[in-house]
Parts: sequence; C-alpha cells; structure tokens
Amino acid sequence: MDAADDMGLLTRIRSGDQEAMSALFDRYGTMVYSVALRVLRDRGEAEDVMQDIFVQVWRNPGAFVSGKGSLAGWLVVVARNRCIDMIRRRRPADPVELFSLSSPTDLAREAEQKSLLEKIQGLVNSLPDEQRKSIELAFFEGLTHSEIAQKTGDPLGTVKTRIRLALTAIRKALTV
Amino acid sequence: MSTKPHIPQEDLALYAMQALTPEEQRAAQAHLDVCAYCRAALAETLPDVAVVGMSAEQQAPPEGARQRLMARIANIPQAAVTPVKPPAPLPPREERVTGFWMGWLGWAAALAMLAIAVYLGYGNRRLQQQVSEDRGQIARLAAGADRAEAMTEALTSPAAKQVTLTETRGPAKPMGHATYLPARGALIFVASNLHPVPENKTYELWLIPANGKAPMPAGLFRPDAGGSASVVMPALPPGVEARAFGVTIEDAQGSLTPTLPIVMSGQ
Repeated sequence: MDAADDMGLLTRIRSGDQEAMSALFDRYGTMVYSVALRVLRDRGEAEDVMQDIFVQVWRNPGAFVSGKGSLAGWLVVVARNRCIDMIRRRRPADPVELFSLSSPTDLAREAEQKSLLEKIQGLVNSLPDEQRKSIELAFFEGLTHSEIAQKTGDPLGTVKTRIRLALTAIRKALTV
Repeated sequence: MSTKPHIPQEDLALYAMQALTPEEQRAAQAHLDVCAYCRAALAETLPDVAVVGMSAEQQAPPEGARQRLMARIANIPQAAVTPVKPPAPLPPREERVTGFWMGWLGWAAALAMLAIAVYLGYGNRRLQQQVSEDRGQIARLAAGADRAEAMTEALTSPAAKQVTLTETRGPAKPMGHATYLPARGALIFVASNLHPVPENKTYELWLIPANGKAPMPAGLFRPDAGGSASVVMPALPPGVEARAFGVTIEDAQGSLTPTLPIVMSGQ
C-alpha cells in the first residue's frame, strides 16, 4: 500500500506495460475480490467485478492521478459501489441477509498490508454489535437507513447514531 | 453559499455510503453543491467509509484470475489520459449509470486522497515513507524525461507521420494537424478554428489503426475562446500504425467507441 510504488505502477501501466498491470493485480486483487465477494456472495460475480475494475484501470490509468492518493482505498470503494449497484438492481428477488464468509485464505503478499488489514478487521469486529451490524448493513448490503431500521426494528434516529458512532470510533482508533 | 441548515453528521455518513433514501440523497447532493462547509465535513467522513470496506475478510481470487485478466487486457487499447474530475457528490442511487467509472469516480478519487492521510498516520513509518516517496519521485522524473524525449522525436523524426485533418462537411475552416510516431506511440495534435461544443460535450481524437482494428481513443479536447486546442502525448501503445485520424463529438467524459458523425478526419 505504498503510494509511491502505486504511482510508479500506474505510470508504467499508462505506457502500456502489462507486467505492471500484473503487479498491480498481485498487490490489490485479493483486496478488491474480497470486498466484491463480501457484498455479492457469489464467487463468479465477484471475479467479474474484480476483472472489470482492473480492466478499467488498464483502459484509463489516468483516472487515478495523484501523488498523495491511496489507490487501495479507491479500489475498495470502487469495488463496493459497483457491487452495490448490482445487488440493488437485482432486489427484491434476492433477500438480503447478513452473511459470514468462511475459510480464511492466504492473504500475505506483504506483511505490512496484512498487518493493516488485520488491524482494521479487528477494529470493526470490536465495535459494539449493534454499531457493527448497522454499518455493515449500510456498507456491504447497500441498505438505506430506513431499510436498516425496518430490518433491525430500531428507531431511525438510533440507526443513524450507531453508524456515526461506528465511523467515529474507526477514525479515532486509526489516528491515535 | 447555502442558506439552508447544514447536513447533520449522521446524514453525511449515510450520504457517503448512499444509504439515504433517494429523496434525501438528492437533497443532500443539492446542498453539498453549494455548501463548502458540508463538503469539507463529508471529506472527513469518506476515509472512514473506505476503512469499513477493508474490514472484509480477505479471500484470494479464484485460480487463474490473473491470467484471465492479462488475456483480456492484451486486446484492449488504453484510453487517452483523462484528468481527474474534482470531487463530486454521488447521484441518487436510482439515477446512477451502469458505467461505474462515470458515476462516482469523483468522490471515490477524493476518498482515496483523504484515505491516505489515515494510513500515513498509521504507525511510525515516516522514514520508510520518505524513501518510498523519493523512489516515486525518481520514477516520475524518469517517466517525464522519457515523455519529453518521445515528444521531441515525434516532432523531429523523419519517421513521424504528418497528418492534416479537415472538416468533412461544409467550409473547411476548422483544421487539425496530427504528428504521430508509431514506434513510440507518440502523438501531438494541434487544431484551430474549431467550433465550440456544448458544456456537456467534448471533441475526441481517434487513431484508426492500419490493421483494421477498432479506432483507438487518442485524447479529449475542447477549444479555447479562439477555437484552438491540442492533445499532447496521449496514452497510446507503441507500434500501432495509423491508417487515419478522426475527430468526433462525445459526451464530456469521452467515449471508448466513436459516435458518428466524424467531424474531422485525415490520413
């Protein structure tokens, strides 16, 4: 997740370097696929999304041009939004339920990346259950606050407050 | 400046995740369009949202995924480099287009820029980061030098193809001149006397390969007040011989395939 290395890869991709594209995939393919799989719960669809995102990076690497940007964060949100678009289009045929993926996989391409992701996972998992559930329903399931309130039976204001508290806790934990 | 009350913090977080109702999302978007205070508050929220995404349990892509990706991109031309749009609020969810790159590129890019601040504050890595940044700077300088060399070669090499483009219909007032060096994928295009295009449109330059493959996007451009425009060194792969060049008018974000009519062409 080194910003300078990322920009170096994107510079090479911009000049048509396929090896750089391969390296970018090795660096972030798992992260993008994991978000897509978490949202879509379908390995085939998740790979389709992942492939589309990296193809778009190849087509237009200039879409991400910054000396200070986090390519990782960008890819994660791009993947999430792409997937949310898909599940919103296919609702209400497929009811949304919280889903937990089994079988942890080999993540470690970079110890640093693994360490950061583990810390983030631990942080989100350590949130109070109701906060974690609310923010996961919003982020990974694509539910609106009113849909979350209906699903959980909680007042609308409570749902909003829980999401805000969850994000505040995440920020505090990562900036200390 | 907005005269309406600012968006509550709770709603900003929900807006960032598109978790407001469509009506609320539209109202928030309208307010953000005119309220710098709320835009700044939203910007503070976006990196936290990205972190939520990184909490997904990591799952390795299916076997062969990388090979499939590489096989796909081997036949896909790269688009001209397009500038990053300024951060823009997300549209309501039912209005978002399937082409994901268009819909939320702006705020995703803004998020990325802010998310790095979170990572940079993460642990005591300043020295390592400085070394990495220096490496990146060197890489950028090297890339810049290579680009300048290719540009000079494109302008001076006897092997460079010189093409003048004229309007296909009516008086041939608008003029375009392309200098293209296939071996380097180096292209310089200068146009003059161009007609203005609407705000939501842009001119797009196309390279038509000599091998009969699909036209390749070679840069977006809009004329200045005097009708002049240029495209300098768009991202084109080396080694593509050009049969011709063409110009179309496309939506502001550009297109991957030309939309007829071709308003200028030359070979």
